[in-house]
Amino acid sequence: MVKAAVAWAIGIVVVGLLMSCAAEPPSVVDPAEGIRSGVPAEVASWRAAGEWEAYDRETIFGYIDGHAEVYLAYGMKRCLSQRYSGPEGEPDIVVDLFELASSADAFGAFTHDRDGEVAAIGQGALFRNGWLSFWQGPWFGSIYAEGETEASRAAVMAIGTAAATAIGVEGELPQLLAALPAEGLEPHSERFLRSQEILNTVHYLGFDNPFGLGSEVEAVVGRYRVADGGAWLLVVRYPDEAAATLAEARAAGTADALRRKGAILAAVLGAEPPEIGAELIARPFGGAP
Amino acid sequence: MSTGRLSRRDFLAGGGGAAAAALAGASGLRAAEPAPGAMSRVVLVRRGDVLREDGQPEPEVLRRMLNDAVAALLGVEPAAAWRRLVAPRDVVGIKSNAWRHLPTPPALEEAIRGEVIAAGVTPENVAVDDRGILENPVFLRATAIINTRPMRTHHWSGLGTCIKNMIMVVPRPQEYHGDACASLGAIWRLPEVEGKVRLNVLVMLTPQFHGVGPHSFSRDFVWPYGGLILGVDPVAVDATGARIITEKRRLHFGADRPITPPPHHIRLAGERYGLGVSDPERIELVRLGPMEEALI
Repeated sequence: MVKAAVAWAIGIVVVGLLMSCAAEPPSVVDPAEGIRSGVPAEVASWRAAGEWEAYDRETIFGYIDGHAEVYLAYGMKRCLSQRYSGPEGEPDIVVDLFELASSADAFGAFTHDRDGEVAAIGQGALFRNGWLSFWQGPWFGSIYAEGETEASRAAVMAIGTAAATAIGVEGELPQLLAALPAEGLEPHSERFLRSQEILNTVHYLGFDNPFGLGSEVEAVVGRYRVADGGAWLLVVRYPDEAAATLAEARAAGTADALRRKGAILAAVLGAEPPEIGAELIARPFGGAP
Repeated sequence: MSTGRLSRRDFLAGGGGAAAAALAGASGLRAAEPAPGAMSRVVLVRRGDVLREDGQPEPEVLRRMLNDAVAALLGVEPAAAWRRLVAPRDVVGIKSNAWRHLPTPPALEEAIRGEVIAAGVTPENVAVDDRGILENPVFLRATAIINTRPMRTHHWSGLGTCIKNMIMVVPRPQEYHGDACASLGAIWRLPEVEGKVRLNVLVMLTPQFHGVGPHSFSRDFVWPYGGLILGVDPVAVDATGARIITEKRRLHFGADRPITPPPHHIRLAGERYGLGVSDPERIELVRLGPMEEALI
């Protein structure tokens, strides 16, 4: 009897301990804290001007004039921003770090502008005209000097390196990239997107959204060289075959060529000359799931 | 670019025409709606000495450019031109642009304000504003608007134009960003704007022909053009500015590099909303000052 009571009491204690452990939330560190502490307040002779600012999906419009929708189109959660004041005669540097819906979206935001020299920062980076862009995990980073000088370029690179390191977490490339045929694909031309407005900046199609792009319908697009001509190849993945079939009918007449395979629809856009559309669309899809 | 000024003979020679006919007096002023087949007058004025070494405009030179252009637009002396644009009983909102990288120059805002007051409008009835116009008491009871902003490339509309500058009239500007801001002209049909815009001044002092990054700005993509484009017809003014930006991009990039997205809101403002004309064949372009590298 005593033994049973002791066993029962021990059981109660163990269960209580287990419950208390279960109730204790795992310690989750907000990545923003790591960024704020990991990016130095002074880089070369540039000094942080004030505290980090944070913007959400509404307040971002007051901060960025005309460009906020790019990041909203990639599921922006927040933007952390810091301005650095430069020494006399040097431009200020503006740091904007966007937390997006996923690492695929961060890659997408990064591919929105593919001009520039490749830089070894984060999981991919480009530098042009005083502006460094990079992606790291679900974050897209923009480090921008309001005018390029040798010193500001070095400071931009140093801040970018520190920011990518502070973010730390690695992300995966969009799986759909594998669907783009390798043959003829121009290097660094691939883009990931979910929005007609973003596609319009690659190849203008108007407002009708014939491919039905949206948060559940993702796409990749790449630039191809075919014979002496060129074209964009868009590959869209739909939630199911019925949605892809519907989009195929809607997009007829918009694209130079179309081909559907299950829930994936490919379209040739802006083929020059138009005859290469048939050749490009016939290339087999890659290994996208 | 050499220095150039408009002489009295220049502006008299530039007088008459559609603009003057359309502007019979302040009481009869309306937003430009040229009759079918009519020409829209636009004035491009440039001065080689308007920009200081720091890139900022010389206020007195800028004021003279403004007045020379207004005179050429309406075909009368500058003071009379301003009296045609605004009447003493008017309440005048000067809609500027506060974008931090390339704002409407304060010297231009002040020049316009000074001329409006000199035309007889009481200072209490004149205000300069951009993002606060929905709460600005002068704008809320404005009977006349002078619309001025710098020309620049823009991520959603292709170009930031005089037509686009009225977007702050609506509470949620982003609702007009669809299809490269195709419906911006509709804003000009809202009661807050319709029939009130007396003059459009597109600032081409240091226009921006390309943009990079979230803030769409780099000093590498502005250049000292030293000009203003003025007109009553916002479509004609913007279309003229767009031609200059297009040519600058071709020269800079060494090949045709179309503005992306296409700034079709300019053409559509004319075709859909009847705000003016974009066809260069229907624009009477009056040129004042030196025209070297004018790109048009």
